[in-house]
Amino acid sequence: MIVEMKNIRKHFEGLEVLKDISFGVDSGEVVSIIGPSGSGKSTLLRCATFLETIDGGEIIYMGKRAAHTDESGRAVYVHHRELRQFRAYCGLVFQQFNLFPHYNVLQNLIDAPIEVQHRNRDEAEQTAMELLKKMGIADKAKAYPYQLSGGQQQRVAIARALAMKPEILFFDEPTSALDPELTGEVLKVIRQLAEEKMTMVVVTHEMSFAKAVSNRVIFMADGLIVEHGDPREVFENPHEDRTRQFLRVFDR
Amino acid sequence: MTLSTMLSTMAAGMLRTCGIFALTLIGSLPLGMVIALLRKSKFAPVRFLVSIYIAVIRGTPLMLQLLVWYFGPFYLFEWSIRGWRFPALILGFILNYAAYFAEIYRGGIESMPVGQYEAAEVLGYTRTQTFMRIILPQVVKRIMPSVTNEVITLVKDTSLAFTLAYQEVFSLAKQISASQTSFMPFVIAGVFYFIANYAVAFAMARIEKALDYYR
Ligand SMILES: Nc1ncnc2c1ncn2[C@@H]1O[C@H](COP(=O)(O)OP(=O)(O)OP(=O)(O)O)[C@@H](O)[C@H]1O
Ligand SMILES: [Mg+2]
Repeated sequence: MIVEMKNIRKHFEGLEVLKDISFGVDSGEVVSIIGPSGSGKSTLLRCATFLETIDGGEIIYMGKRAAHTDESGRAVYVHHRELRQFRAYCGLVFQQFNLFPHYNVLQNLIDAPIEVQHRNRDEAEQTAMELLKKMGIADKAKAYPYQLSGGQQQRVAIARALAMKPEILFFDEPTSALDPELTGEVLKVIRQLAEEKMTMVVVTHEMSFAKAVSNRVIFMADGLIVEHGDPREVFENPHEDRTRQFLRVFDR
Repeated sequence: MTLSTMLSTMAAGMLRTCGIFALTLIGSLPLGMVIALLRKSKFAPVRFLVSIYIAVIRGTPLMLQLLVWYFGPFYLFEWSIRGWRFPALILGFILNYAAYFAEIYRGGIESMPVGQYEAAEVLGYTRTQTFMRIILPQVVKRIMPSVTNEVITLVKDTSLAFTLAYQEVFSLAKQISASQTSFMPFVIAGVFYFIANYAVAFAMARIEKALDYYR
């Protein structure tokens, strides 16, 4: 298992956003998370990538515990210096890309490897250029984010996350901020990563993509995992009414 | 008094004006950042004190502040203020401008989208690295127009040094004009301020242009 989330609970000012969520991701697996707006998908990814702290439950990366619930029922995290170790295991691709506008594409890709991981500049640049080639934007290495299309920016963001060599990459609706004609190029690189056995968790509204690429699908609603399983099973033969109801909206 | 003696007398004043200007910027630009960061401190008392400081500085005339810094030590502690004129002047200017710069910095920092912080956090940057490498460079670009305004105001504000009878170009112009019953010194001072501001505006435009490589 790369990551295990056990009995995760999270609330915001009286609102229970995650109520006892458990799932794990094996090496090389692609897991899609679908569900209606407000069901807690983003919050779940933000907890998994340590942008939010959980109220209760357990987060385990590579068999090591990053957070657990103590006797008093509160979630406790490892010391923040140790937490940086755990951060290095995971990457996150945002809906809004969040590239650094004052850095060109190459700088976006090499700054963290050099400054955070203290990797050698030549090696970091070489890794970055290989990633850009894979993303089909090697010619944009010296361009600034504002000079790129949304689809290109998102591919840079994916490359930036991969440049850190994470064990697992989380995507939060990577194509939702893109014009429809640009979603294809981003989905294509994610599909390519799946073929290379990159471990990924993708929150998406692209049902055909989820069906085609993922090994497992999680359907979330109201802070709970309603249905979880084989994509064909979940999409074509859902067990729960809630799932059927949700999928019907997309079939139209 | 010939025009050339007038000019050469006033040249010393121009130099002093430039001195006030340069020292104020050297002191207040960094101090403003310290104050802006203290204003976001975790400790409520620190935040409170800093906000009082900024409110007082912004709520009272600079001229009054200069008088307080100069005469305050004498009236409060009966200290001798000999040799204190120039330090008091620079102190007053720096503390005043630092408060204004702090507010500009704070506005710039708060205008940064939260996504920049989150992207940096996920990539493992420390808080200091995030601020120095990701946030600050972008803040600098965002606040340049406001900083330019403030710097141009400073060029003109240096004339307030006359309150402490410091012989910068404006004080000298007043003195020479009175003793020579001539309007000329004011014309010279005016031309000086205008040219100085023009130079400042030019320099700031160059800096803004240099930061134009991204959006
Ligand atoms: N920082 C926050 N403070 C307060 N409430 C929050 C915060 N973040 C999220 N929420 C609330 O938590 C709930 C779940 O939000 P979340 O963004 O996880 O949903 P989502 O499944 O990602 O939805 P979408 O499909 O619209 O992105 C929502 O009701 C949202 O308003
Ligand atoms: Mg979301």
